Amino acid sequence: MINELLLQFGQWMEAQQYSQMLVAGYYSYSWLEATHVLTLMVSIGSLFIIDFRMLGLVMPNVPASTIAARLHKPMIIGFVIMFITGALLVYAKPVETIQSLWFRMKMILLFLAFINAWVFNNRMKGAEGNWDNDPVAPKPLRTGAIASLVLWCGVVILGRYIPYDWVDCTNTTNTTILWAAGCVDQLNAL
Amino acid sequence: MLGSILSQYARTLSVFAVLLLIVLIEALGVREAVYPGLLPFFTWMRESSWLGVIGTTYGSVYATVEAVHLLSMAVLGGTVLATDLRLLGVIFKDIPSETLVTGTHKCFRWALLVAILTGIFCAAGVGDKVYYMQVFWIKMLVLLLGSCYMLFIKQPFLTSRPHAEINPWMIRLLAITSMLTWFTVAATGRWIGFS
Repeated sequence: MINELLLQFGQWMEAQQYSQMLVAGYYSYSWLEATHVLTLMVSIGSLFIIDFRMLGLVMPNVPASTIAARLHKPMIIGFVIMFITGALLVYAKPVETIQSLWFRMKMILLFLAFINAWVFNNRMKGAEGNWDNDPVAPKPLRTGAIASLVLWCGVVILGRYIPYDWVDCTNTTNTTILWAAGCVDQLNAL
Repeated sequence: MLGSILSQYARTLSVFAVLLLIVLIEALGVREAVYPGLLPFFTWMRESSWLGVIGTTYGSVYATVEAVHLLSMAVLGGTVLATDLRLLGVIFKDIPSETLVTGTHKCFRWALLVAILTGIFCAAGVGDKVYYMQVFWIKMLVLLLGSCYMLFIKQPFLTSRPHAEINPWMIRLLAITSMLTWFTVAATGRWIGFS
């Protein structure tokens, strides 16, 4: 049911004039993709520095909360640009993207990464004691930082897999993969 | 006498020497002479080296290494931005710029190393394709210049004395040069994928 609805939504987007314009214009799609990837340096670059600081790998002599607070703004700006360009990339090739197993897995990891960020932020605010000046953050924050690193690495790796067609709807007959990727027509044909 | 004068301007002279070398390589036709001879090496990288064989045989390995390359560039960019924006007085205003310059450099070097190693793997997988790409050679040149600039000019200069003793415009110039250099490396790298 959900796969059918998503496919209909994708087909509706694909019929839009602006969606076709985005994908037809070679440079518009390339610029979008380039901006999406290059903004990694601002968003994930800033985030990883915060995570590395929690693990004591960078600037252990600077209070951890100061680094997190000062990098918050550039990080958010980076993520906002990434989400806008990412949404436009999906809008340009909606059916292909919605039926990509890697895209779906990426969205799940993105969701988990945001839950982790929210928990991490709350833990940081609630952490008691004089840990801020310690070279290494307390264990709960270190765990959150490691989870953040793993999840975002997963997001980037899965994002990189999306253009590859190893498990595209037309390249597999495995019903579990077809269901997970939302390949409605191929499942109905089986 | 001459030695003491030259030693005072060692870095400036090094920069001019590198620029002069690039001009001479171009003017004397060295690039045109060397370029055709590199094709067999790039073909060998793709078809015979174990890096090329793995990259062309296992698509998932190639894509994963590409992603690690992107991640290392993200970390590299993060350290460059954090340091250079501090040098420009945009962020981290309450932390001494000397602390940022020394505190992020180790991370930068590791990210650069991983980016270069994964980049070699990626280039090996499409060796005879990138050989013909102008944007690939621009990236290699800027990467070389950027690495030399960071390791032999910017970092030694900024750690040699307190920043309060350096002309603020010199600090700004160093930061802007660094950001433009690494942005060019990243942007040309992205463009290789489109070419």
